[in-house]
Amino acid sequence: MAGFLIKRLAQAIFVVIVVTLIVSVAVRMTGDPALMIAQGATDITEADLERIREGLGLNEPFITQYLATLSGLFTWDFGRSFLGGTEVSTLIAGALPATLLLAFSSLVVSILISVPLGIRAAIRRGKWEDQLIRILSLVGLSFPNFWLATMLVLLFSITLHLLPPSGMTGWATLVMPAMTMGVILTATNVRLVRTSMLEVMQSQYIMVARAKGLSERSVLYKHALRNSAIPLITFLGLQFGGLLGGIVVVEKVFNWPGMGSLAFDAVSARDYPVLQSVIMILSTLIVLVNLIVDIAYGLIDPRIRTE
Amino acid sequence: MKKTLTATAMAVALAATGLAAPAMAEGKITVSSPQDPGSWDPIDTFLINWASLATNVFEGLTYRGPDMELVPALATSWETLDDGTRIRFTLREGVTFHNGEPFNADAVKFTFERLLGDEGAKGPQQANYTSIKEVEVIDETTVDFHLTQADPVLLTKLAGYGAMIVPPQYIAEVGDAGFNNNPVGTGPFKMTSYTPKVGASLAANADYWGGAPNLSEVDYRFISEPSTALAELQSGGVDVVIPPSVPVGMIPTIDADQNLEIISTAGPTVTALRFDTGSGITADENVRKALIMAVDRNAIVETILAGQASVIASFQGGRSFGYDATMEPLPYDLEKAKAMLKEAGVAQGASVEINTRGNDATFNEVAQAVAAYLSMAGVNATIKPYETNVLLNDIIPQGKTGEMFQQSWGGWTFDYDNTAYAMYHTGQKWNPYDSDADLDAMLETQRPMTDRAEREKVLQQIAAYAADRALEMPLYNMNAIYAINKRVQNFEPAPDNRLRLDKVSVE
Repeated sequence: MAGFLIKRLAQAIFVVIVVTLIVSVAVRMTGDPALMIAQGATDITEADLERIREGLGLNEPFITQYLATLSGLFTWDFGRSFLGGTEVSTLIAGALPATLLLAFSSLVVSILISVPLGIRAAIRRGKWEDQLIRILSLVGLSFPNFWLATMLVLLFSITLHLLPPSGMTGWATLVMPAMTMGVILTATNVRLVRTSMLEVMQSQYIMVARAKGLSERSVLYKHALRNSAIPLITFLGLQFGGLLGGIVVVEKVFNWPGMGSLAFDAVSARDYPVLQSVIMILSTLIVLVNLIVDIAYGLIDPRIRTE
Repeated sequence: MKKTLTATAMAVALAATGLAAPAMAEGKITVSSPQDPGSWDPIDTFLINWASLATNVFEGLTYRGPDMELVPALATSWETLDDGTRIRFTLREGVTFHNGEPFNADAVKFTFERLLGDEGAKGPQQANYTSIKEVEVIDETTVDFHLTQADPVLLTKLAGYGAMIVPPQYIAEVGDAGFNNNPVGTGPFKMTSYTPKVGASLAANADYWGGAPNLSEVDYRFISEPSTALAELQSGGVDVVIPPSVPVGMIPTIDADQNLEIISTAGPTVTALRFDTGSGITADENVRKALIMAVDRNAIVETILAGQASVIASFQGGRSFGYDATMEPLPYDLEKAKAMLKEAGVAQGASVEINTRGNDATFNEVAQAVAAYLSMAGVNATIKPYETNVLLNDIIPQGKTGEMFQQSWGGWTFDYDNTAYAMYHTGQKWNPYDSDADLDAMLETQRPMTDRAEREKVLQQIAAYAADRALEMPLYNMNAIYAINKRVQNFEPAPDNRLRLDKVSVE
């Protein structure tokens, strides 16, 4: 297990370095932040621009700038935002918990809906309930999240005045963003749970369990569900990465002050330190979550532990 | 994982505290502002949205309100001496900063030394105030500004951005970084809290020299997505949505809501399609004129812009110093345009490329309308949008545009020099194609002129000259559109986003 962990950690570090290197190079190809800052000023001279660049630390060699960003991961010092000079670590300390809260809530929403529905569809395979659940999940899958978000706001905020349309000021503001993200994940997860349950229920040990005279309930929840959870957990780990990527749009629509909003603003302002740090932290998280997923397999399935 | 759990717990706790938030107190309004400027230090900002909040916290020596009149603020009077190279200010007595520190001549000197010194050099504001050579303290309430040359726009500049007076002792105590996040000024409101990217709260400054404000509190929320800001307005979460967050397309929705209203006023922003005067069919002045005449700009304003703009004859709006009300835009005349194109030897089906800012949905409709009009004159226009920053910082300055490109410009000084110099002077960033010695000479002549009337005349000549050469297709001067809840009283829309709220009250 220790060897496995060390290998996975080394892989993780390599991935983070590659990702941040690509981002750092790519972001610098989009243009000069000094020009952007000086946009409104007339009579700006090359000397003025040079002064601004110097102030931003942009005249340092690329590798120095990159290493400074990378070391931020260990020292929690990512430099200052080009836009106004707030410490990037302050911005991230505000945004990261907001994004994680939203991501985990979305996963919870998705699990709460998809597991019972997926099981139901599997048990009632081919019946009208199964058909309905499958159609609904296809409909859910087809919703673009910004559209769903807008519809939820229109219904719950503007028409019914039940939920605040944006911001992060209480549980009420979490409902719609978590639902938007959650519903789209649910659509995939329902189908996954259904397929996985069907596969497990046809396996020999389930037949044995039934033959032993165990109750259907016990067969379903004690034997089948536990085994069909493995593909779901793998998938949730992968989904987490997609979730963090897809969160940009949802955070933007609901004005959720998370990493997605931060990244979005940083892209439009060419705010290198913020953008690099956000991507570095998110990629580290994704790698970390996948690592946790691998460990979780072992806990759920003894066969994997012994391998 | 532990960190993750802690972070989640933090977020949950944060979210939970919000549950106990009280209902909106009396005398409090919430404003949706599209962007967090990131710093409240006046010398660091380059965003007009800074002013929508900071105008309430900071003050300059002069003040220019929504009516565009320049009036005394922290200076009670001033006189121009030595042919305009020295301005003597008499300062207001008995004013204190929000931290209790006195406002005096030393604070003024400190403010400008900081702006023109090393700290100011890191920011974009310094370039606006380079005509100031030195600030000399005469006595506690008198300062002399020594200038390198007469600067007729300086008094207006002292009413905004980098020239806001800052507290020397406080900055010495908290440092520049501390001042960024916890600003202290002399204005009618003081900042009580600021959460980066989320919002800021202001409380009334009861000791304000101009009298305590009518509101006890103002909350600002940074909401960049226009539809989100308007959803908040519709559901009562915010009371005021400031420009440019009200898209023209949303106006009917707001009009239809009995609790809401649109208040607009002519803003500083003008929009034009500028020409590549160096190559393509637009290198010919007569072709450029023909293209202008082929487009019905009145129809565009009335239909696409819902009347929230005025057609312009030069690249400035009616409030700009240098505006000539008698100047007429080239008329819409399709037949004449066709004849002129034929005469200039432009073949039917000749093509032009129009570059637009990709994130400007309204202008994309305008560009499509322009393209449709041009096609009626026999010119095929293709629209090529760029990511806004790429267009502004790479494509235009390097002269890589198509024959026509979108230029929207809004100088907060409302002085035509600010636009004309940047757009027409040889070698300027926004003028990649044209070089005209006569125009350069005119632009340079007016700059040091202290006689306002004389200067205005030269600016009008510049406008007429540029129009005569058809350097751009002037389109319109957009209104600054505010959407407010009707419970907000005495709301006066600021044309330039410098939104002062001390006279505002709520029902």
